[in-house]
Order: sequence, then C-alpha cells, then structure tokens
Amino acid sequence: MTRPERRPGILLPGIALLAVVLASLAAEAAPAGPVSVDIGVVVASNQGTSVDPALSALRVKLQSMFSYSSYKMLDRAKRNLAVGETGDFALPGGRSMKVTPVAAPPNKVRLAVQIMEGERNLLTTTLGMSRGGMVLVGGPPYRSGVMILLISAE
Amino acid sequence: MDCGKVCMMLQDEIDGRLPPSESAEILLHLESCPSCAAEAAGYRRVGEMLRLWAESGAGEKAARLDAMWTRVSAGIDEQRQRDEPASWWRKWIWVPAGAVLAVLVLLFYPSDVSRAPFHPTSFDVAVEDLESDAATVALVDKGEDLPRVIWIIENDKT
Repeated sequence: MTRPERRPGILLPGIALLAVVLASLAAEAAPAGPVSVDIGVVVASNQGTSVDPALSALRVKLQSMFSYSSYKMLDRAKRNLAVGETGDFALPGGRSMKVTPVAAPPNKVRLAVQIMEGERNLLTTTLGMSRGGMVLVGGPPYRSGVMILLISAE
Repeated sequence: MDCGKVCMMLQDEIDGRLPPSESAEILLHLESCPSCAAEAAGYRRVGEMLRLWAESGAGEKAARLDAMWTRVSAGIDEQRQRDEPASWWRKWIWVPAGAVLAVLVLLFYPSDVSRAPFHPTSFDVAVEDLESDAATVALVDKGEDLPRVIWIIENDKT
C-alpha cells in the first residue's frame, strides 16, 4: 500500500487567501461608525493682517490660495453624525448648512452638503474624502469680506 | 632711640603691636629716661581705666541683654509655631484650587465649539456633484498640497 503523495505549499497559501477574503467581507459588512464633522466659519477680508490662531496650520495655504490679508474664525461646530443623520449648522448672514454622512468605503467619508440662504439653495454637493480630510467652501459675502467654510470629517 | 621717637611708638608698645626688637629698644630707653617712663606709666593708667570702665558697663548691661535675648528667642519660637500650619496650608492649597478650576473649565467650556487648530491630514477630496439654484459655483483645484475650494459666486459679487 503506497502512501498518498502530499502536495506541499498548497495548504498555507489557501488558508491565507481565505483569511484575506473573510477579512475583506467583514470589513465591507461592518456598519459604518459615526462621522465627526468639524465646521469652521472663517471671514476673510482685507481689513487687518491677522490670522486666527486656530488657522495657524493653514495660514500659508490660505495666503497662497486667496488674496485676503485677514482670516478670522467666527464660529466652529463639531458634531458626531451617524450615516444618514443630518446635522444642521447655523451660518452667519442668515445662511444655514445641512451635512449628512452617506455610505462610504472603509476609511473614507462621504458627506452630502447643502447650503441655504433663506429659501435659496446656494449649494448642493456630495463630497468624498479620506477621514481627516478637508475641503473649503467659500464665496458668500459677509460684512466687508467673504465667508469661507472649512469642512473636515473623520 | 631718642625721646621723641619713643613717645610716638609708646602706645604701640603698650598695646603689644611692635616687633620684639623695637619693643626691647623702647623698654631699654624707658629704664634710662624718667620722663618717658612717666609718660608710659600715664598711658598704662589711662588704658587700665578704660578697660575697667568698659567691663563695668558690660556687666551692668549683661542682665538686660540676657532678658532681651530671652524675649527675642521666645518671639522667634512663637512665630515659627504660627508659620508651620500656614506653610502647610500654602503647600497644598493648589490641589483643591486646581480641581475647582478644572471643574469650572469643564462646566463652562462650550462642548461643540473648539478653538483648537485645524490639522487636516489630507486635501484629497472628490466632489461628486455640484449644484446651485441661486449662484454660480466653481471648483478650484490648485494641487494635492492645497485644499480644494468650492467657490460660490452670488450675483457676480465675488
């Protein structure tokens, strides 16, 4: 009686492949955690030359992108929102913003954003970003400058 | 050594401030000079009287000095006893003070507003759609190192 010939090198790679497949399936099936949405309301103007200390890490970038000399943070709000949950943020000048996290791949965040001015829809967009990422929304005039929103999420 | 020089050095000799050789010369002169010897005797009498007067003054004041020192010593001890609880109190007062301050900060610091600096880790943002009913919107992309900007232009104002 002859002993069946073993085929070395098949078992371990097979187990590893199975583990990878199961891990990826588990990651896909895992419910998305809450998204921490951080909104900063900045007024940029040419009155003065000060930059708010909260914007110190962005000072150079702001000054290279815009031609304003002063950046002052008027307000900041941070909300933890579940996927599908809408957070309302009051903005200066009678404006408001709704932010709703929507389904996203792991380590990514997708935000449905709507900015209103009274009944007027100023902006409706969907943003996809890495956790910890940031996007700027600006332009609406405010006092002697413009309003710039810093939208970040993680 | 003549009398004039002996008179000039006489007080130093009496006080013992001269080297032995000069002192011996002066003593030799005094043995042979009655006027200088009388002068030296006068110096010694005056010195002796001053010493006795100083000793008697110190003796009279010694009791008062002792009494004063006793009072000062008692005052120092009393002050030290008063200071000991105060220093302990000062040493540990910062603990409850710090705790109260921390509680006040936690109570009154707005929970949803932070002045902490922004530290974005990425500016890689995908803008999936962009709509506006009341303004012109533009997507500004100046590279991966800079944030992407959605710029809203209302009535051509900006």
